[in-house]
Formats: sequence, structure tokens, C-alpha cells
Amino acid sequence: MRTEKVVFAFFIVLALTLNFGFFLGDFANVAHHNVYELFAAIVVSLIATVLKFGDRTHLGSVFLATSLVADLQLICAALVWGINSQGVGASLDENSLATIISLSGGALLANIISVVLLVSETINLRR
Amino acid sequence: MPNLIYLLLRRLRSPLITLILVYAISMTGYVLIPGEDGNRDPYQMTFFDAFYFVSFMGTTIGFGEIPYEFTQSQRYWTLVCLYATVISWLYGIGSMLSVFQDPAFRQQTKLNRFKRSVARIRQPFYLICGYGETGRRLVRDLANHGILSVVLDSGEVPINELEVNDLAISPLWLKADASNAQMLEIAGIKHEQCKGIISLANDDRVNLTIAIVGQLINNNIRLITRADTKEAESNILSFGANEVINPFETFASRLALALHSPGLYLITEWTTGRRDKQTDNLSLPTNGRWIICGFGDFGRAAYRYLDEVGESICVISSDRHGRDVPSGTIIGRPTEAATLKKAGIDDAIGIIAGTGNDPDNLSVLMTAHELNPNLFRIAHQNEEKNKPMFDAAKLDLVMQRGNLIADKIFALLRTPLLGDFLRIVGRFKKARANELASRMIAVMGDDYPELWEISVMPDQAPALVERLKSSEILIKDLLHDPYDRERKLSTMVLFLKRGDGNAILPEDSRRVKAGDRFLMCGNKVAYQKLQITTRNTGYLEYVLTGKRLPDSWIWRKLMENEKFAERFSQDSS
Repeated sequence: MRTEKVVFAFFIVLALTLNFGFFLGDFANVAHHNVYELFAAIVVSLIATVLKFGDRTHLGSVFLATSLVADLQLICAALVWGINSQGVGASLDENSLATIISLSGGALLANIISVVLLVSETINLRR
Repeated sequence: MPNLIYLLLRRLRSPLITLILVYAISMTGYVLIPGEDGNRDPYQMTFFDAFYFVSFMGTTIGFGEIPYEFTQSQRYWTLVCLYATVISWLYGIGSMLSVFQDPAFRQQTKLNRFKRSVARIRQPFYLICGYGETGRRLVRDLANHGILSVVLDSGEVPINELEVNDLAISPLWLKADASNAQMLEIAGIKHEQCKGIISLANDDRVNLTIAIVGQLINNNIRLITRADTKEAESNILSFGANEVINPFETFASRLALALHSPGLYLITEWTTGRRDKQTDNLSLPTNGRWIICGFGDFGRAAYRYLDEVGESICVISSDRHGRDVPSGTIIGRPTEAATLKKAGIDDAIGIIAGTGNDPDNLSVLMTAHELNPNLFRIAHQNEEKNKPMFDAAKLDLVMQRGNLIADKIFALLRTPLLGDFLRIVGRFKKARANELASRMIAVMGDDYPELWEISVMPDQAPALVERLKSSEILIKDLLHDPYDRERKLSTMVLFLKRGDGNAILPEDSRRVKAGDRFLMCGNKVAYQKLQITTRNTGYLEYVLTGKRLPDSWIWRKLMENEKFAERFSQDSS
């Protein structure tokens, strides 16, 4: 058991769970989607990306690519949120909320691939 | 290059994670802490506000308290975040700079840049391994003739010198071990424009390695190597090197040539020497008794060759314990008059100062000159920087290793056929060599001759190749002035290579065939005029038949019409 591996797996799985938590809920209902959860998902996803830096194997490259996709989608979602909630007393309308949720859904897919890779790598490991 | 970015990012892992965490914590704090807007109504910062504020705070830009003036509790939190973000930024930037400064990283960037520039080369170039005195001179000569060179050297100093060169064509260079096959490959040994490898390392083993590696990777390439010992020379030759140059042997053998076959000596000197000399500056030694001071590599080679041509020799060696010195050697310091007298300086004809120390060599020759002013004085100049001293001493012959090799290599590069020519001429008898020398003098005048090659190929002599398809041409037909065909050009053919066959000094009445390569010798004017003849259909026609062809396409078409041609030629005659 190595601390490095624990931290690595922890952040990858946490990125997926937070993302999933944010994605879960009604597409039209703002109350189902917590902005703090989105923020946490972005931060954890960024940390997971940095942790994947510098691995020159083929698997490492795919890991990094999935993480970059998730970052991109989540940051886009946050931008949509930020821009559409500007103005006096404005709250999110249904259209932009749907965009945010679908973007985070895409990020969720990328995170799932990342976890699948992690699991398959672990299974392939000879003890 | 991609590898490099990821390696760099891995080393920045902990500063980046620190930065992300500090940002996340600070932003969360600002979003959670209650604030007030301008009217003292409650206002909660959004994530955008928080990110905006933390961004300019962390980078110490500091636009102020945005969007509304902070409350006391927000200011407490700002105080904490201020130090945290600034420190983590400094940490990140510091690590990034240290990565950029890293020697391994810099070497890697240089290697990448070198690799890319070599891959982009679109002109013929030579790969030169070793940038010592010889390399420096060769690179300069090549650059002056518009030829690019790629230089590999494992030393730090010579490469730094290249960084501030003032050459006409700036060479590409890399600090790398040239005996490493991978480095040779990066330096373009397989590049289609690479014309040859020139290995000039001080160490014979390195030269040998380069020869082997070069031969294995690309055996079509021209390979010219330096070797300091006879064993290394034959060893390298066995690996298929085209030319091996041993400076001491070369010089000593020329000295012997000068003594027993002056004609041959002159031919060698004219063809491989430096171009900017005049023929009458050349002085020749005479036969008699020689004194060799110093019995190192140079002295040994001189002794062997002089002994072969039957001169009587006296060696002065300061090394008391030298084992294989010839009999009759005088042990003592050659700089002292007494030692020189003991060696019989009064009735000697020449003296060779071949010690490894330049001031000693000069001192020997000065003393000798005082004792016997008629001596033929030869010096071994060890270091290039002592050139002014040797120039001022007005010696008869100075042997400078670097220059000797560089000049010979340069001559071989410019005219590859020269190597074969010299090998064959080297076996000439005295009388035949003298005859050749006098023929060369007749065409070259007072300056050192211009040597060049004519390849009868479509890209180098297009007019000639075109003409050969329809008619036969003799060599002598070509050697006329393209402006006035009554005059002959002062040039001669030294050597002809046709397929695998060679012909030395081919007769003028031979036929020219497509694919022939001629080694020509003559003066500069002849060189330029012959270029004109072989490249321009009009001039070629005039030289061969005396008819002047019109230059323009329209005029030529008109001339094809017989009537028109008739009238026109009547007009002109």
C-alpha cells in the first residue's frame, strides 16, 4: 500500500463522485444543483489533472486527456453559470441551467472513463 | 519536445496543487463570509467575484475591495489569504524558473532546437566532429565558400566560441560526444544533403569510433579522418574511410619529396596548399646533412622519411632515457650553441626544430642561424596563437598541424578526385613528375592554380550534356575562350574518371562522354570561362563550330526558317 497511489485514486474517484452529485437531479430545477458542489468538482478535477502530469506511458497520456476534457467541460459550465446569473436580481433561467447540466454530464462521462482506466489498471496489476 | 513539457509539468506538480488548493480555500471563504453592498444591505460574493478578487490579490496587482467595500470579517480573511496566495505564487514561479535553469533541461532544449534545424537543412553540408584548430579553420574555409557545416564537439569552450562567430554562413553546432551513434544521427548523418563526415578529434580512438559508426549507419557517405599514428591510420582505412590524414606523416613525406623529387613536391603543394600564396614564395631544400631537434612524433616521422631518401641525419634529443633513438644521437639541449656545434651545425644543410614547445623551437632556429646563416630552417609550430612569432622569424618552412590538415581536407572536399589523382601521381618517376609540374606552371602562371571538377551531368553542365546527345566532342574542342575561340584557355585536364575507370592526364583528343568527371587545373579566368561554355548552349555552339547562336527564343525560332537564316547570315558576314 502506497500513500501516493491512495492520494491518486482518492482524487480521481472524488472528481467522479462530486461531478455525479452535481449532475444528479431535475434538469429544470435549480434547487437540485448546488453551486458549491460545482466549485468543488472543478477544484478536485484540477488537482486530479495536476496529479496525472508527467506520466509518459500510453495509459498516463489517456488519463491526462480524460482529465483535461472534464476540466474543460466543468469550467465551461461554471462560465455559463457565472455569465447568466449576472445583472440585478437575475437568477438562472431554465435554458442556461440545462446547458450547465448537460456540460457537467459530459464531464461526468470523461470522469467515468478515467475511473474505468484506473480500475482496469489495478486489476491488471500482478500481485 | 513534448516529452520535455510533461517532464517540466511533473516537477511543477506540488506548486500547482498548492496554488489550486490555496485558491479554492480563499474563494470558498469569500463566498461564505457575509458582506454588505453600498447601502449596508447584506451581499454575498458570488464565485466570480471571489475568483476575480483572489486573482488580483494573489498576483499582488490589488485593484482594491471589489465589488463593494469589505466588512471587518472579510478583511480578516483577506489578511490570511493575502500571504497564502502570494507565497504560493512565489513558490510556483520559483520552481518554474529553477526548472528552466536546470542544465539537463537546457541541454535538452538545445538538442531539440539543433535537431529541428538539422532536419530543416535544404543545402549540402558537411558534418565536422571536433572543433579544434583544424576544425575552426576548416569551418571558416567552408563558410567562405558558401558551404554549410554542422559541428559536434564535446568541449564547452570551442562551442561557446562558435556562439559568437562572424562567419558568412553560420554553422549549426551542438556540444555532444561525436562517437555516440545517436548524436551522429541527430547531427544528420542520414540526411540526404549530408555530403560527408570529417572527423578531427585529438584522440585516435574517437576518430576510429566515428569511422566505424559512420560506416555502419550510412556507408555511402564520404568519410575523411585525421589520425596521429600509423597504426590508427591503417586501422581506420580498413573501415572504409575515403581519406585518412596523418599530419606528421604528411608533412614529413612532403619534406622527403621536396628532397628527392621537387616536381612531385610542387604538384602536391600547389594542389593541396593554401590558395592565397604565390608560386615564387616557395623555397626548396637541398640534399645534404640534416639536424633534427627533438624526437617526438614529428621528429620520428621526419627521421624516417629523410632516412628513406638517403640523407645523413643527426638527431638531438634532450631526453636522456629515450630508448629507440637512432645511433649517433646527441643527448643535450638543442637550444644551446654547444650542442648544435657538437651535432655538426657548420657543415649541415638544414635543421628541423620539432620539439613540443614553440619558444624552444624558435630559439633553436635563431641560435642555428647565428652559427650558420645558410641553413634551411624548418619549424614545427604547435599552437596557432604563436603564428606571428613564426612569421616574424622568416623561416623556410613551418609545419602547423591544424592548418596542414584543414587545407588538405578543404582541397579534397572541393575536388574529390584530387585524392585519387595524388595517389597515382605519387608513384610517378622524377622525370615524369617534373614534366607534369612544368606543364602545370605553363597554365597557372604565378598564382597557385585553381582546381575544379567538371561533371558532365545535366545539373552541372546542361549545355554540354544536351550537345553530347547529338554529336561527338573532343576534350580539346572545349578548351577555347567562349568570347574569342581563336584563343586557348590556360587550363589542362589532370584526371578523368569515367565509370570505374580512371585516366591520368588524358590526351586532348579523347572524346567527352556523359557522366565523365574531369579534374581541371588552370587559372581563375579559365575556370569561369569553362563554366560559361559548359552551361550555355549558345557559347558552346560558338566554341565548337564558330557559329554564333541567337540568345533569345524568338530569334532562334526565326533562324530555323531557312530563308530568313540565309539572309541574316549574309548580313552578318
